[in-house]
Amino acid sequence: MKGRLNKGVSSPSKFAAALAPFLLVAILALLPLLEPGSETIRLLFVTFVWVTVSVAWNLLGGFGGQVSFGFAVFYGLGAYAAALSLNRGISPILSFLLAGSVAVLASLLVGLPTFRLKGPYFAIATIGASEAVRVVMTNVSITGGASGYRIMETGTFHQLQHFYTALALAVIAMAISILVQRSKFGLALIAIREDEEAASDLGVNPFRAKLLAHALAAALTGAAGGVYARYAAFIHPQGVFAFSVGVAILLMPIIGGVGTVWGPVIGAVVYGLVHEELIASFPQLHLLLYGSLLILIIFFEPGGVIGLLEKSFRVFAYTRRLSGSHPQR
Amino acid sequence: MSAVDLLNLVIAALLLAGVYAAMSVGMTIVYGVMKIVNLAHAGFLMLGAYFVYELYARFSIDPLVGVVLAFPVFFFIGLAVHWILIRRIPSSDQPTLTSLLLLFGLWLVLQNLGYLIWGNADRAILTPRTLYVLQIGPISFPAVRLIVFGAAVASIGGLELVLHKTWFGGAVRALMQNSDAGRIVGVNVEKTARIAFGVGIAFAGAAGGLLAMLYSFSPDFGGSFLLRAFVIIVLGGLESFAGVAIGALILALAETFSILVLPASYQPAIAFSLLVLALVVLPEGVAGLWNKRHRLA
Amino acid sequence: MAPILSVDRVTKYFAGLAALKEVSFELRQGGIYGLIGPNGAGKTTLLSIVAGALRPTAGSVIFQDRRLSGAKSFRAVRAGIVRTHQIPRPFRALSVLANISVGSRFGLHAQRSASGTRDERRILEWVGLAHVAYIPAATLSVGDQKRLELARALAARPKLLLCDEVCSGLTESETLSVLRLLREIQQAGTTILYVEHNLKAIMSVCDHVIVMNYGRKLAEGSPEAMQNDPAVIEAYIGRTAGT
Repeated sequence: MKGRLNKGVSSPSKFAAALAPFLLVAILALLPLLEPGSETIRLLFVTFVWVTVSVAWNLLGGFGGQVSFGFAVFYGLGAYAAALSLNRGISPILSFLLAGSVAVLASLLVGLPTFRLKGPYFAIATIGASEAVRVVMTNVSITGGASGYRIMETGTFHQLQHFYTALALAVIAMAISILVQRSKFGLALIAIREDEEAASDLGVNPFRAKLLAHALAAALTGAAGGVYARYAAFIHPQGVFAFSVGVAILLMPIIGGVGTVWGPVIGAVVYGLVHEELIASFPQLHLLLYGSLLILIIFFEPGGVIGLLEKSFRVFAYTRRLSGSHPQR
Repeated sequence: MSAVDLLNLVIAALLLAGVYAAMSVGMTIVYGVMKIVNLAHAGFLMLGAYFVYELYARFSIDPLVGVVLAFPVFFFIGLAVHWILIRRIPSSDQPTLTSLLLLFGLWLVLQNLGYLIWGNADRAILTPRTLYVLQIGPISFPAVRLIVFGAAVASIGGLELVLHKTWFGGAVRALMQNSDAGRIVGVNVEKTARIAFGVGIAFAGAAGGLLAMLYSFSPDFGGSFLLRAFVIIVLGGLESFAGVAIGALILALAETFSILVLPASYQPAIAFSLLVLALVVLPEGVAGLWNKRHRLA
Repeated sequence: MAPILSVDRVTKYFAGLAALKEVSFELRQGGIYGLIGPNGAGKTTLLSIVAGALRPTAGSVIFQDRRLSGAKSFRAVRAGIVRTHQIPRPFRALSVLANISVGSRFGLHAQRSASGTRDERRILEWVGLAHVAYIPAATLSVGDQKRLELARALAARPKLLLCDEVCSGLTESETLSVLRLLREIQQAGTTILYVEHNLKAIMSVCDHVIVMNYGRKLAEGSPEAMQNDPAVIEAYIGRTAGT
């Protein structure tokens, strides 16, 4: 819907804006030609995974306004599903698809009973789901319980293959996010975020839209978990299902700017670059910092980095608001 | 299983239900009045545990006295938190993105302040009472559990009294039924909300102290109890005190009897299963069932 | 001609209290019907039930020979019943045009095409919001929000439009322009059920008025007949005249 509504925007800047994502992806895709160190590639790989899950969370939380604390469930289930299939000789692509499908099933388990009801049930159930799944996975013997699970793939390790897989997934997530924002489906989600009852009074089926957004987000997050698991080759419940993973997934889009296409990407990049440094320097403190950051952002800049940029560039801000993609509180 | 075993389990569940109810009423009152899901409840449970622990360890103050002291102390903490954070949340009839994320952030902060101050080692409050067991015929009552149950029931009784005998109680009940109606009959919403939040946090702190007498704890202590409190108030229909008691009993029974069929390590998953079941079968909670019967009558 | 809507002995309880007791009435295609009554008479509850947002405790709502089950307002929209809210509920972050798009893209005969179609622009011009099409709805004045509420509902192409106090809080001239709009909507073939506190507004625009009191239907008939009905004067007009 954005294109048509933004009639005031001059066409050269629109053209540049449309071109920018392709340029960015091309640069990233060609980056390995510069032969960066494997550490740089690893960092980029991790950032692509974060971008995917951050964009995924934003589909439901940012556009649809449904706060989930339980995305670690999808990430972890995806990681385990991919790990189990890879060890059974299933091809990586199929494994990632399976990872996404398992996450979709989990999303339905939480979404079906809660999205029908008005009230805080969904947010509450997501906290419950992440606790419960972590407990169960710590005890399930087929995946080694708390001691973790190793992926044994035959063949040599090509870091660049992982790099391109993660990049491709992030690009898919971005494409979905852009399509959703411009589609009728996205309009329904934003309307639900703003006023669910009023949306229903105009013909939007809130239950279906939320369920679909949740499933879509789960699929991407599960696949990202699978891609990460294949790279890490070893996963354990306290890692992929960790409370801090769930926190990270919702923190990234909020840092960047919820309800926008680029906010979650910016948030993920910032988080991906800063996170490991922070953990290294403040092993105890990083969650304290994240919690404080969350409170500060909600109070002082609910639009996140994007909101801050918009305030700095008033003209840009004007056209943005028209597109209606900015959450209001 | 013998009849005595069964009776012992039922009694254990009943005693557990008392604490569960005490730790959930604080959440119910905050949700009922303000329509805010207090995710930071877990953080205050944890702080309450350490509060009672520190009083006992440093000043040899009896944990029960510590729990009593927790009420006023955490009431004022609640008022302060309300003044600094909560009153800035735009009011709404539904939990908003803002309130959920804000209180989640507060929980993270509290939890990690806990790590900063007390480290991640498990602590426990051990008094001469801790291991004492009262034996009546074939039935055994662990003394601590009896005491904790008594304290929990007394505190809930006190709250009931306040709710039915004071202007604050009247205001709370009016707002829980309908915020617009409350406003029309002249309830001071802002003031009621502030005090309700204080009372909610007071109960969280005191319940944390009670829980600390039963279980060992660390700064992430509150998390699993937060989930339990959710399940209880959902079972209770979110805004009903009688519902909380019933919800607490249901969860306590389910958890206590689950050890017959499931390894104890799966216990935290029971609460979630019960939550999903409750949402599917009784979306309006036990209280909803009650209302329906009334409507038909 | 068969009625477009028939409400049959609809009863609604809230937590044991009766808000509506056995209310029945019929609406014929193409009319403007007024629904009046003192505060707490059950008008908005009745509207919400017809709009499918509430499920009646007993009784039925039949729209174009189809029984509406209630509790899902989007189903009613897809059958052709759209409501407005007494207090406007715009999607605040969305532009005025995007607000209207929600109606046109999810209402009856929902469009596949993108926003900003001729239809949407025509509606905007009709209600007088064309000059603020790209402004976020949050920034509109109360009067404009009321217009947007109406425009959004129209965009969903209702066969039966339920208007809840579209004139309350408006100035005299704004009221007149909204009433003129209602008449134009009717002339375009839409049936209107109009809940209003403002008696003058109702009497000037409606062909037929239903009067409610204490959750029951008190009387119905032409505006003139209602103004002279002793029971109605007693219950409603007498009381408001005193205030």
